[in-house]
Amino acid sequence: MTVDVQYYVLLSMAVFCIGLFGVLTRRNALLFLMSVELMLNAANINLIAFAFYHGNLTGQLFALFTMALAAAEVAVGLGIILVLYRNFRDVDVTVPTTMRW
Amino acid sequence: MAATATGPFGFAPAIAVFPLVAFVITLLFGKHLPKKGALPGIIATGGSLVVSLVMAAAVAGGDAHHTELYEWTAGAAASETGAETIAFTFGILIDPLSALMLVIVSLVALLVHVFSLGYMNAEGETGLRRYYAELGLFTFSMLAFVFADNLLMAFMFFELVGLCSYLLIGFWFRTESAPSAAKKAFLVTRFGDYFFLIGVVAIAATFGTVGFAGEGSFVTAAETAIEDGATLFGFDAQTWVTITGLLVLGGVLGKSAQFPFHTWLPDAMEGPTTVSALIHAATMVAAGVYLVARMFGYYALSPTALSIIAFVGGFTALFAATMAVVKDDVKQVLAYSTISQYGYMMLGLGVGGYVAGVFHLMNHAFFKALLFLGAGAVIILMHHEQDMWKMGGLKDKAPVVYYTFLAGALALAGIVPFSGFWSKDEVLFDALAVGLSEPVILAAYAMGLVAVFFTGFYTFRMVFLTFHGEPRSDTAEDPHPVGWAVKVPLLALGTLAAVAGLVNMAPIAKLAGVDITFLEFWLDGEYGYVEGLTYHHYHETVAEMAFEESYIGSETTTMLLSAGLSLGLALAGAFTAHTLYNVPDPDRHTTKLGGAYSVLKSNYYQDEYQVWLAEGFTLPLARAADRFDQTVIDGVVNGTSQISLFGSDWVKRIQTGIVTNYAALLVGGFIALLLVLGYLGGWFA
Repeated sequence: MTVDVQYYVLLSMAVFCIGLFGVLTRRNALLFLMSVELMLNAANINLIAFAFYHGNLTGQLFALFTMALAAAEVAVGLGIILVLYRNFRDVDVTVPTTMRW
Repeated sequence: MAATATGPFGFAPAIAVFPLVAFVITLLFGKHLPKKGALPGIIATGGSLVVSLVMAAAVAGGDAHHTELYEWTAGAAASETGAETIAFTFGILIDPLSALMLVIVSLVALLVHVFSLGYMNAEGETGLRRYYAELGLFTFSMLAFVFADNLLMAFMFFELVGLCSYLLIGFWFRTESAPSAAKKAFLVTRFGDYFFLIGVVAIAATFGTVGFAGEGSFVTAAETAIEDGATLFGFDAQTWVTITGLLVLGGVLGKSAQFPFHTWLPDAMEGPTTVSALIHAATMVAAGVYLVARMFGYYALSPTALSIIAFVGGFTALFAATMAVVKDDVKQVLAYSTISQYGYMMLGLGVGGYVAGVFHLMNHAFFKALLFLGAGAVIILMHHEQDMWKMGGLKDKAPVVYYTFLAGALALAGIVPFSGFWSKDEVLFDALAVGLSEPVILAAYAMGLVAVFFTGFYTFRMVFLTFHGEPRSDTAEDPHPVGWAVKVPLLALGTLAAVAGLVNMAPIAKLAGVDITFLEFWLDGEYGYVEGLTYHHYHETVAEMAFEESYIGSETTTMLLSAGLSLGLALAGAFTAHTLYNVPDPDRHTTKLGGAYSVLKSNYYQDEYQVWLAEGFTLPLARAADRFDQTVIDGVVNGTSQISLFGSDWVKRIQTGIVTNYAALLVGGFIALLLVLGYLGGWFA
């Protein structure tokens, strides 16, 4: 038995909204990063679900790319968080606001 | 016929190149050369004279020359008459007119160089290297202008001539008056040249060519356009020819010091007298009239332009002659006489008397160079005193100067058989013949005729005050001697001033029925000629397009009447001067003129009104424009930047530096976009 594609979309939407909620409400940079991961994976779910629905592997291939991209992004993000901590003794994203204008 | 660049014509560029080389040599090495650089100039102008004479001989041998030397740029043209391409070139046109003018210019330049040895070197002037270098450049510019085969090249060298006269008028730049006179000359002529430039552009844009001669000339194109009844830039073809011709005429009036642009010429007397001789006789001022003669075929197409030329000429002739009557400075008298004489040339050309105008240009070059060099000699004699009231009695002390000066004066006054008589008479005869059916020309003729009396008067007033009577100062008692470098040019020019008129004795030719009007044959293509640039052709065009000639009785009676009138008036003027001033101790009779004296002495307040025009009109206008620029234009520009500055000052506040806010904005923006797209896409309908 197969699951209909709209359930995947609903799942993906739920995961994306959880990630978005995290980004909008959390102050901890690590949680920020995790929320972004959630949003990315929500997109992945969509890609794979529609690839399955259309019987076409392109979406799955792109999901792999997205994972690689997410890994790179986490590396950069963690680097930023480390520097943040070194400068401010904190990982609260509301603290460093001086580099705006 | 137009020949190819073979034979002697291959050397034509050398005419202009010689003085250019002299300019470079004098500029670089003048300090170390003997005579401070006079020698390269003398050798170069001598070389130019020889080559010019060879050219004239070749033209006399039935040849003419028209060739392109260098092409600057060429391209497609969006011309009104449908010419497809346009090319801007340097070229050489040697026809009877330019060959004649080349000889005149190089001869006068040579004599001025020689005279400078006596006038500048012997007087121990400083800056001689600069002086001779500038003379060389001046001669080069004028010679290149003379043989130019197209309007653009003519314009460029026209400007160069203006620059050189600026430099030379301001030669004594440490005095206060010379730089100001130089600036005035530069600005006034530049004002005219501005119109000339627009005229060049207009002619190029209309006809797609700027050539003077041949099938591809703008003259031919204009003729065709008028014949076809074409419409050019929304005007009837003939009207458009008039407009462009008058624009070019702006430059002519400026350079040839015609009313109302004549004010610079009397001030130009601040330069060395040798320079005045060169400017007045052969280069700067002659350039204007020469340009009219050069493109005469174009003006011949437009009776309006011709009438304006004739009227301005006749008016200037009288206007300047009256001012010359009250001047006390010998050079000032000559300056106003130059303006007046160029008025005659314009009058001659304006009535279609191409031969008469060119004839007077030639004679004037000789006698005015003579008179100026003579005045220079007088100034040497008088230890740089120029006031005629401090002279007197120089006749016996310097006979060579006196007799040559007298020859020039007789020629200027137009006393038979000196050169000026023949040409001035021909100008006036042509004007009368046309004037009998054209009232405007008749008015111009009348002014020219009255000016003859004044010319005779001021010329002999000058001669009598300078050379006759008792010496009126210590320097006049014991004048400084003059050397051979002064006397040789005076003698050469004195001879020419006396006999040059013999080349075209039209009245005698008519009376005796002999063919002795050699200059007319010369310009009429009896020898070498370029198609379309002959007197014959011009005469036909003028007769067809513009004026009819009519006579009182027969042509011969009209000619005799005109000659008799002008000679009688000239003699009357000379005789008046004789009774008033040829006495041992003359009075200042001119002061008895009362109010008229002060008006004449102030040059009809021409300078005042031009200064008022500059200070009372142009300056406030410029100030208003400046204020408009500072407030409105700059205000708009600054206002725009102020708005964006203030705006961004507000907008930047949404950048809080907190990542969460950015994310919220992103999401909010996305949702807003979604809603807008949804609304436009009809979701909520």
